[in-house]
Amino acid sequence: MMDILRRYARDRVGLFFGIMLLAFYFVAITAQWITPQDPFETNLSEGLEPPSAAHWLGTDQFGRDTLSRVILATQVTARITTISLLFSLLIGVPIGMIVGYIGGLLDAVVMRITDMLLIFPTIMIAIIIVVVVGPSEHGVVIALGLSQLPNFIRIARSAALSVRRELYVEAAVAAGASWPDILLRHVLHNISSPIIVKSTLALPGFVLGASSLSYLGLGVQPPTPEWGQMLHEAKDFLTSAPHLIIGPAIALSLFVLSANMTGDSLNESLDPKLKGRRIKRIVPRLAPWFFPRFWSRPISP
Amino acid sequence: MLKLILNRLAFMVVAGLLLLTFLFFLFHAIPGDPARLIAGDSAPEALVESIRQAYGLDQPLVTQYTTYMRRVLQGDFGLSNFSRQPVLQIVGPRLLNTAKLAGWSMLLAMSVSLLLGSLSAMYWDRPLDRGITAFSLAGICTPIFVTGILGIYFFGVHLRWLPIGGMSTWKHYIMPVMTLGLAQAAGFTRMVRACMIDALGRDFITTARSKGVPERTIVFKHGLRNALLPIITFFGLGLGHTLGGAAVAESIFNWPGLGRLMVDSILTRDLPLTQGCIFFFAMVFILVNLMVDLLYRWADPRLAND
Repeated sequence: MMDILRRYARDRVGLFFGIMLLAFYFVAITAQWITPQDPFETNLSEGLEPPSAAHWLGTDQFGRDTLSRVILATQVTARITTISLLFSLLIGVPIGMIVGYIGGLLDAVVMRITDMLLIFPTIMIAIIIVVVVGPSEHGVVIALGLSQLPNFIRIARSAALSVRRELYVEAAVAAGASWPDILLRHVLHNISSPIIVKSTLALPGFVLGASSLSYLGLGVQPPTPEWGQMLHEAKDFLTSAPHLIIGPAIALSLFVLSANMTGDSLNESLDPKLKGRRIKRIVPRLAPWFFPRFWSRPISP
Repeated sequence: MLKLILNRLAFMVVAGLLLLTFLFFLFHAIPGDPARLIAGDSAPEALVESIRQAYGLDQPLVTQYTTYMRRVLQGDFGLSNFSRQPVLQIVGPRLLNTAKLAGWSMLLAMSVSLLLGSLSAMYWDRPLDRGITAFSLAGICTPIFVTGILGIYFFGVHLRWLPIGGMSTWKHYIMPVMTLGLAQAAGFTRMVRACMIDALGRDFITTARSKGVPERTIVFKHGLRNALLPIITFFGLGLGHTLGGAAVAESIFNWPGLGRLMVDSILTRDLPLTQGCIFFFAMVFILVNLMVDLLYRWADPRLAND
C-alpha cells in the first residue's frame, strides 16, 4: 500500500484532486461547526434573497441560508456514499473472494447472476430497490449498496483468482490450514490494497447515484439537504431566484470530478503500466450508472 | 445466424417470464396492504375487505401467482390504482415518447462524438485535442439534471427562446435532446478518440501515408473504418444508457415518457403501474442487449461462426 501511495504522490494532477476530495470530506466532517447559519432555520420574510454579505449564496424559498445547506449537504452525501460503499465492500468482497477461491459450479452460478444484473443500468436497479425499501436516506444507502454489488463481487473475485495459485497459499494448504483461515490470513491480506484502490473508482458512481435518486424525489427527503434534492427544489424558482442552483451544481460537479481524478490516479499508481491511458478508462467507470457494462466482458455466444 | 436469433428470442422469453415472477414476489415483499392502497387511507374497513376479495388478494400466494401470470400472458397488466385505466394502455404511448427522445439524443450523440473524437485523435496532444478532452471530462462529471436546469434557465427563462417542458412542437425537442445527447456525446467522444488513436497507430496507416494518400482519406476511410467495430458496440450499448438517463431527463423537462411515468408511479405508490413500467423497461434493455450482440456479429464476421 505504501508504494502505491508513494507513486500516487508523484502525480501532481492526481494529488491536487486528491487534496480537493479530502477537503470535501473535511467540510463534511466539520459541517456542524462551519455552517455560518442554522441550515434548518426558516425565516419567511427573507425568502429567495439574492446573494449578499449575510447570505453568500442567498436564501431559499423558506429563507434558509443556501451556503449552510450546501455545506450540510456535503455531509449528507459523504455519509451516504461512504456507508453504501462500505456496505458493498462488506457484502461483495466475501462473496467474490469465496467464489473466486473455491471456483467450480458456485463460481459459475454467481458469475451468471452478476452478468444478468449488469445488463441493467445501475440507476434502474437502484430505483427498483427504492420501490421496496421506500424513498429515504436508508433507502438510498441500501439501493446504492446493492446495485453496485455485482461490480464489487467481480473485483474481489478476480483479485482472489490471481492469488489462489500463489506459493504461499499452497504452502498454507500443505501446512493444513483450514480454508476460512487461508481466506482471511492469506487471500484477504494480499488482495486488500488492490480492492481498496479499485473501490475508489466506484465513488463517483455512488455520488451521482445518490444525487440522481434525490433529484427524482426517491432519495433523501426534505428538509434534509442533498445536492440533487436542492436542485430539484431550485428548479421551481428559476425565474425569481436563479442563484439557488449555483451552490449545489458547483459542489456536486466538483465532488464528482475530484473523486474521478483521484480514483484514476490511484489506479495508475497501482498498475504503472496504465499510465497515460487515463482517457480510455474513465468512461467505463461512470457509465454503469445509467448503462450496462457489456464491454468489460467478452460477448457471450 | 437465424438459429442464433431464434436462440436469443427464446432466451428473451425465458428472461421475461423470470422477470415477471421476480416482480410478482418483489411486490409482495413491499410492506403495506395493497387493498388499503387502492381504497385510500380514509376508506372504511368493509370497502377494503371487498376490494381484497374482488382482487383476489385473500387467496393463497400460489393461486394469486398463477392468476397473475395467466392474466399477464393475455396482455392484462391490471389497472392503474389512480386513473383506473389498463396499465398497458398507459405504458404504450409513454414508451413511444421515450423512444423518440432517446432516438434523437442517440443520433446527436453519435454524430457529435464521431466528429469530435476523430478530430481529437487527428490532433492528438495538441490544443484542439486538449480542448475536446476537457469538454468531454466536464460533460462526464456534470450530471444531466445540472446541465438541464442550466439550459432551462438560460434558454427558457432568461432568453425565452425555447419552451421549458412538454413535447408538442419541434422546439420542445431541442433542449431535452441536447441535454441528453451531449451528455452521451461526452462519454462517446472519449471512446471514439481512444479507438481512433489506436487505429491510426497501426501499420497500414503508415503504409497509406507513405503512398501519399490524402490525410482526410486516411482518417475517415482507413482509420474510422477500422475503429468502427468497438465504436459500434459502444454506441449500441449507449442506447441502453440513454434510456436509463431518460428517466432523469424526462423529469427535468416534463417529458411524458416511460421514465417519468415510473418515477411518478413510485411516488404515488401506484404499484400496478410501477410494475408495468419496470417490466417494459427491463424488456427494452434485454432487447437492446440482444440487438447489440447481433449487430456486433454482423459487423465482425469473424464472430459469426462461433
